[in-house]
Amino acid sequence: MTPARQRTNRRWRAVLAGAAALAVALTGCAGGAPAATTGDRPLVIARAMDLTTMDPQRGYCDTCQIIYTALYERLVTVDPADTSTVLPGLAESWEANADNTQFTFALDSGAVFSDGSPVEASDVKWSFERLVNLQGSASFLLAGMTGIETPDESTVVVSFEKPNSAFLAITAAPYLGIVNSEVAEENGASAAEDAASTDDAEGWFLENSAGSGPYTLAAYSSGESIELTANEEYWGEEPQFTEVEMKEVTDSSSQLQQLQQGDVDVAMQISPDALAQLEGDEAVTTEVVDSYNYTYIALLPAAPGGEPLEDVRVREAIRMAVDYDGLVDTLVAGYGKLQGSPIPNGFEGSKEVALPSYDLDGAKDLLAEAGYADGFTVSATYPKLVAYGVDLDLQMQAVQQDLAEIGVTLELNPVDFTQWISTVSGDGTPVTAVYFAPDHTDSSQYVQYFGNIDQGGLINPWTGSVSQEQTDLLAQALTESGDERMATYQELAESMAADAFVLPMVNPQLILAYASDISGVAYSPCCNLEIGQLGLGG
Amino acid sequence: MTRFVLRRMAIVPLLLLGIVTIAFVISRLMPSDPIAAIVGERSMNNPEVVQAARERWGLDSNVFIQYLNYVGRLLTGDMGTSFQTRASVSTDLAERLPATMELSLLALVIGAIGGIVLGVISASRKDKFADNAARVFALLGSSLPIFWTGLILLFVFYAQLGIMPGPGRLSARVDPPPHVTGFYTIDSLVAGNIPLFLDAWAHLLLPAFVLAWGLMGTISRLVRAAMLDELHSDYVRTVRAKGIAETAVMRRHVLRNSLTPVVTVVGFAFGALLMGAVLVEQIFSWNGIGSYAVEAARTLDYPAINGVTLLGGIIFLLASLVTDLVYAAIDPRVRLA
Repeated sequence: MTPARQRTNRRWRAVLAGAAALAVALTGCAGGAPAATTGDRPLVIARAMDLTTMDPQRGYCDTCQIIYTALYERLVTVDPADTSTVLPGLAESWEANADNTQFTFALDSGAVFSDGSPVEASDVKWSFERLVNLQGSASFLLAGMTGIETPDESTVVVSFEKPNSAFLAITAAPYLGIVNSEVAEENGASAAEDAASTDDAEGWFLENSAGSGPYTLAAYSSGESIELTANEEYWGEEPQFTEVEMKEVTDSSSQLQQLQQGDVDVAMQISPDALAQLEGDEAVTTEVVDSYNYTYIALLPAAPGGEPLEDVRVREAIRMAVDYDGLVDTLVAGYGKLQGSPIPNGFEGSKEVALPSYDLDGAKDLLAEAGYADGFTVSATYPKLVAYGVDLDLQMQAVQQDLAEIGVTLELNPVDFTQWISTVSGDGTPVTAVYFAPDHTDSSQYVQYFGNIDQGGLINPWTGSVSQEQTDLLAQALTESGDERMATYQELAESMAADAFVLPMVNPQLILAYASDISGVAYSPCCNLEIGQLGLGG
Repeated sequence: MTRFVLRRMAIVPLLLLGIVTIAFVISRLMPSDPIAAIVGERSMNNPEVVQAARERWGLDSNVFIQYLNYVGRLLTGDMGTSFQTRASVSTDLAERLPATMELSLLALVIGAIGGIVLGVISASRKDKFADNAARVFALLGSSLPIFWTGLILLFVFYAQLGIMPGPGRLSARVDPPPHVTGFYTIDSLVAGNIPLFLDAWAHLLLPAFVLAWGLMGTISRLVRAAMLDELHSDYVRTVRAKGIAETAVMRRHVLRNSLTPVVTVVGFAFGALLMGAVLVEQIFSWNGIGSYAVEAARTLDYPAINGVTLLGGIIFLLASLVTDLVYAAIDPRVRLA
């Protein structure tokens, strides 16, 4: 045998050995028994995460709400049973002055951060100021704040330029979580006026937390998982799970499979179609609950090509031409509700507003009255995404078909979410569609964003007018509280509904799906899911 | 040989600069603004917030200046900070690359070995049952879309039969091994944790197979065709006439001469596998370069897009260099100088 041949032979022997090893391994380990874990059972939550930052004063997303709530506490929280009731958090009591321009909070003396140091008024001041000065996506929540005073270490006085009765509800929003200012400052955080350019703590927050919540951050791997450990110094009721992992599971069917296989305990985005597959599965509990999320279409006459929409009768006709029940059936398998105005069901002012109804003939008549008996063509740019189980593309195709019945041709132009934001804040589009989820539990946010008022919302730049009535009513609502405020929001809801610039399409219900031995899974109006409430023994 | 390698290495920086420039230009030509993804639709109408974000992410200067800044920082090894993960792109890539490499390398091994074995079986049992079965299997692999096979295999073997683990690199409630290479299989062995190794290994099989199936199809058909060609050549007749055993004819002569094109395919396949990994990683919740790239593109995360493109370019150039070297090693007609 020549040396060359010998070499070839040896090489082939190696390859064969490798193949054999592979074959053995392929057949031998296919069982894939998970390695055992030690200690207590960790809780695993599956979720498609939209998180970009772990810095509570920079973030603004649904996942942020959940995680920040677990790590940081707010001055107050909201009663899940009644969104207009505020409950104590870090503050044991609070009061507002007569015109709702000044709020005084008395901090609970027992409240401590995860390093054992007390939560003090200076931390509150620092956290709120940092939220504003970082100029982040959630900074708008404290717009109009003129100052924070701390007469002593357990009293915080927050003042506003104008009445702001929404402030208590806003205080319960996860973005207003209180950060341990000393620890954060040591790690580069700043609350100074120039914080937007000098604060350097975002990287630190990716690996650490500094709050007083039931959990602390153990590890974060973007796109993969967030691991939380119970806060040993927690001053409230100790959470039952000492370890929690939120795992990135992008699609709904995969969440379902992993829940059924017992690999995850809670699946957060199960699609309504999948609900039937879980029926009869003893190991999994499902609940359908109402949500405050909704999808809508917006009709914006001042955008290029939007002229036909200037007439309110045309907008009204479009509202009447949509088959809403059909939408709820097609888009969310019937697990959804209709909504009358941009203020969603369950929020102050929504109760008495008439729900939209399908009336083809009425729509045709109105359109003829407005001079568009032969219809018109208008384009709709909207993001191509699935929001809370609603596929916006499907929604718009259904609306397109419905509008064709009254001669209105809708040209669909689905784009990336990023491109959509650029469009609505740039050149504009006469028709658009997207979703909205609340940032807090006060109805003012809907008027600020969807009202025809000049306050940096989505709609107003494109309506071609400003409603003085709505502007005044909002200012009035923000001075009021209780039943008076409820009545004012009702008026606002009716006024916005009558404008028909924003037509809510579907208010999808939320599907809670979790392992049957888990308790405490609930949809929280302020905070989405409160991980600290979860326990064993359902 | 050394001169060849050095010459090839010398043009690498130029090629990479070209890649970076193209990635930079293309990402800036997109009709949307990354600021929209950073700020969100709620604050896009707030000029102060938008301006603060532009300044923070260096998007307030002229594009050419931005390009010079980027390339300048790149020369110092700084790939910038991702808009979406808020971590440095080099850290992000370093964390995710091992996951993708582990998957792609195993896929490459499965694809190459499986493809060659199938090809040999096909060629030696031409038109018999084994040949037909192998050809159907190969055809399925190269024609079924990856996302479909991935979902179906997961559904059958994980959700229904429960004999394969689900998506992810490890089972739920299992902590990864201490970081050494980032390859969980290797790191778990280094840590001496056999159950963890088996868990990581089992999680690799399904996605690696899905990724490899297409390659397996291509290679097996290539090997089959090449071997059938060789079998009809004069030298094979001569070898047979000399009385050499048929298996030896196949192995030493026919197969060896049929492998040259396979090497080319495998070399380029590595690039293709990395691309296929984009889909497989999405389906199998694999936190690698593929899913990072998708997310970066979706949100117009400039630094991340450029980083992924640069990394892809480096891998591609290395793979083609290795291909050339292997070519020279197995085909005596090729001489590198």
